[in-house]
Amino acid sequence: MNATWVGQRFARKEDGPLLTGHDRFVDDIPMHNVAHVAILRSPHAHAQIMRLDASRAAALPAVYAVLTGEEVVRLSRPQRGRIPLPASPSVYALAHDKVVYVGQPVAAVAAVDRAAAEDALDLIDVEYQPLPAVVSPEGAMAADAPLVFDEIGSNVLWHDTFPYGDVDGAFRRADRLVHERITIHRYLSTPLETFGSIAQFDPSTQTMTVWGSAHQPGQEINNIASALGLSPGQVRMIVPPMGGGFGNKTRPIYHILVALLAMKLGNRPVKWIEDRRESLLALGHAADGIMDVEAAIQHDGTILALKFRNIENEGAGIDFAGRHNLLMLSNLVNCYRITAVSYEGYSVVTNSCPVIANRGIGKPFMCLAVERIVDAVARATGLDRVVVRERNFIQPHQFPYETPSGQTYDSGDYPRMLRKALDLLDYDELLVEQSSARAEGRLVGIGIACGVEPAGSNLAYGMLISGPGQLLSGQGEAARVRMEPDGSATVYTGGIESGQGHTTSLSQIVADELGLHPERVRIAATFDSQSHPYVQTSGNYSNKFNGHDTAAAIGAARKVRDKLLRRAARMLEVSSDDLELGDGRVRVMGAPDRSLPIAQIAARAYWSLTDEAPDDEPGLEALHYYRNPRVRTPDAQRRVPVQMGFSAAAHVALVEVDPDTFEIAVRRYGVVHDCGKEINPLIVEGQVHGATVHGIAAALLEEFVYDDEGQLLTTSFMDYLKPSAADVPTIETDRLETPSPWTPLGTKGIGEGGAIVAPAAIASAVEDALQPLGIKITGLPIIPTRLWRVVCDGGTTYPRSREAYVTAR
Amino acid sequence: MRVVAERTPVAAIVNGERREAFVEPRRSLADYLRDDLGLTGTHVGCEHGVCGACTVLVNDRSVRSCLMFAVQVNGQKVLTVEGLGADGLHPLQQAFHEHHALQCGFCTPGMLLSALELLQINPTPTEDEVRRGLAGNLCMCTGYVNIVRAVLAAAATAS
Repeated sequence: MNATWVGQRFARKEDGPLLTGHDRFVDDIPMHNVAHVAILRSPHAHAQIMRLDASRAAALPAVYAVLTGEEVVRLSRPQRGRIPLPASPSVYALAHDKVVYVGQPVAAVAAVDRAAAEDALDLIDVEYQPLPAVVSPEGAMAADAPLVFDEIGSNVLWHDTFPYGDVDGAFRRADRLVHERITIHRYLSTPLETFGSIAQFDPSTQTMTVWGSAHQPGQEINNIASALGLSPGQVRMIVPPMGGGFGNKTRPIYHILVALLAMKLGNRPVKWIEDRRESLLALGHAADGIMDVEAAIQHDGTILALKFRNIENEGAGIDFAGRHNLLMLSNLVNCYRITAVSYEGYSVVTNSCPVIANRGIGKPFMCLAVERIVDAVARATGLDRVVVRERNFIQPHQFPYETPSGQTYDSGDYPRMLRKALDLLDYDELLVEQSSARAEGRLVGIGIACGVEPAGSNLAYGMLISGPGQLLSGQGEAARVRMEPDGSATVYTGGIESGQGHTTSLSQIVADELGLHPERVRIAATFDSQSHPYVQTSGNYSNKFNGHDTAAAIGAARKVRDKLLRRAARMLEVSSDDLELGDGRVRVMGAPDRSLPIAQIAARAYWSLTDEAPDDEPGLEALHYYRNPRVRTPDAQRRVPVQMGFSAAAHVALVEVDPDTFEIAVRRYGVVHDCGKEINPLIVEGQVHGATVHGIAAALLEEFVYDDEGQLLTTSFMDYLKPSAADVPTIETDRLETPSPWTPLGTKGIGEGGAIVAPAAIASAVEDALQPLGIKITGLPIIPTRLWRVVCDGGTTYPRSREAYVTAR
Repeated sequence: MRVVAERTPVAAIVNGERREAFVEPRRSLADYLRDDLGLTGTHVGCEHGVCGACTVLVNDRSVRSCLMFAVQVNGQKVLTVEGLGADGLHPLQQAFHEHHALQCGFCTPGMLLSALELLQINPTPTEDEVRRGLAGNLCMCTGYVNIVRAVLAAAATAS
């Protein structure tokens, strides 16, 4: 079959209602008699709840119900982390005995409207006994640190070391060692639509329907059902279009909270929409971390081995505990042929907001750490940064390439990718400009960074923490394709749409499989567990669309296509092998006059049950559960394919630092990306633009700042700075297409790469700009006032150590 | 506890039609449009006047509907995204579609109305002027590249 739609710059089908204001995000769904929820949150980072009295709030005529922590403990079961931890605290939807971070939900009110619910919060009396709080992960590891979860007896949730290859031998053989301590801060992609949940309990059928934010519907259904003591079959989850997600909308406690109120109110829908302050305070943050990186190198810049020791601040939660650490095993060696690596990770809890998945989870930090050490190697050897990268790149003929931790990189051409990125911005010309700018006393820098972009998680990686008994493993997706009696097709999948253009991309794919125009393929984009097939690994996360959602949809479409062709073969009295599909018709190959409209065959499949049917089944519908065949559990050396496909990108940035104010301007920014075969280059470029700007902003603007008492100081968009159009340049792009041998279409992931590589490119660029001042960049974000202080102090390293992560201003 | 005041009638010309609802004095314009008039195309992203998602035009000038009270638009003219492009898509909407200037689409209504005001004031903006003109509207998905292209394309089509 000749692909006709895959690969085309097809303008998106889903745009119409979004452009005219007629789309229905969760807050836009018309609901009758809905009760609105407001949540009372802890003002303390760490405190004992001595007394909580909600009786005055409950007595208000406008209030339907109040929920307290004591009730939640009675009415629900505690949450477990997505990776079950060896020692796990009991976490409920509301705090009951003590609070462990500012913003933790303490009580909730359902009332006639949101304003009335917020009024009622003022009448809930809570008496706290404040306890000492700890917000820095190193502080939390101290012997006398206050315990976040008393029942665990330590703030270190997990600690382990993974030695891969002959690391000690390489360190003995090395000409020299290079060491850096690299830090990353807390930030978040902050989807413009906040989290939302609506729940309604039907007492007659004992069914809970939840409309709301979710990336992994199978997991959310399980979370809600197990918390409430229901069967997953009693929970109907509907995920309306999401106004962005980036991994952030994964907080089961909110659905559980709303569902508990719905159960109390019987038949009345209950709705909670997070406000921005709540979102910044308590939805979740990407983890901050402190990473010691040591490289064993030769004089020619060859990197023989790397040692990492990472302390990850998980905040006061368990939903995502351990994940940042383990996912970094996927890009430990980044684009480089480094055969021995050891990784030591600590997951530490503190009195700060629990961490959550955020575009590339963990991998931006690992990419930053590796790219910083590569630049440090260049500095140490006196070699050019480009040369050191070229010397260490995995070469094109080495694919598929297995890394020390057990990742198999599927395809790529890193030398050509970097060369192309340098050409995109005319690197030689930039060097000339930089040299004349420096002569004028201007601080102009060029940043270079390369990175792999892992895609699709093999969830068996959690067994590295939880052991082989972990139920969740592998990666897959489910899809159902129904050819309707009019010859159009409808696709239902367990994937979730939050703006990535999956609707259009899947339409293009299924259109090719069924010989239809993409406009004749309908994607049921609002996930509904009553119509959409799913497995526990379903959803939109870990960049899995490219290889898993596509494979599930193709599998289902091919089953439909086979049925269609076998019916057509009977009608045309030929063998189905002699038939082809295209332009809405089934044609006999080599006999263009012998054809039938697909719609005619489809109509008979549903209407004319006297027709003999293939498999004796009327209709043209098929279900396909796709399982990635390359997933496996950790081996004896604890090597495991954490992720399944590997895109890559090279970024080149041109920045200028104001020598008086230390304001940093990104003048130009170029990306060459390689995600294998592109389904829709228009959509791919959009993903690259958006992710890259996320990464730039993470490096220069966005930061959650806590004071020493654990108060978050950045709870509005006036303090937590997002980039506007005026803050960033046009992202210039070019591409390579080295198809993956393992996905049906040769595709690889593209949603996260920009956010993974850009922080490293910006750090590299600013360091290069500051070269005349001799300052190296070892941590993010790079904030002008802090940079100025380093310069005033005659320092040589940014940031100063105590500003490396959480700091008092 | 706050005292809930009497509801008062607010009548405005919204998208060319006279619309009326009884609201509390503390009701924001955004809530009035969304909850009282059912115009949910106006989205609320931060409720503190930074993100611009709730931007609408009042008497042809952009306002943040989360920071304005409903009672302030009594007798005024309001344009929301639902009123843009009476017959088919407005040229800005068309340009946003063709240039892939939206991903999740949550910022799009506010972005379109800010762009409309910008082009009314400056029909032939430079790229830099478009970037500064849209600086009050945050988009978390697109990195602005295609939004800027779309606005420039719409300006070129109109001129």
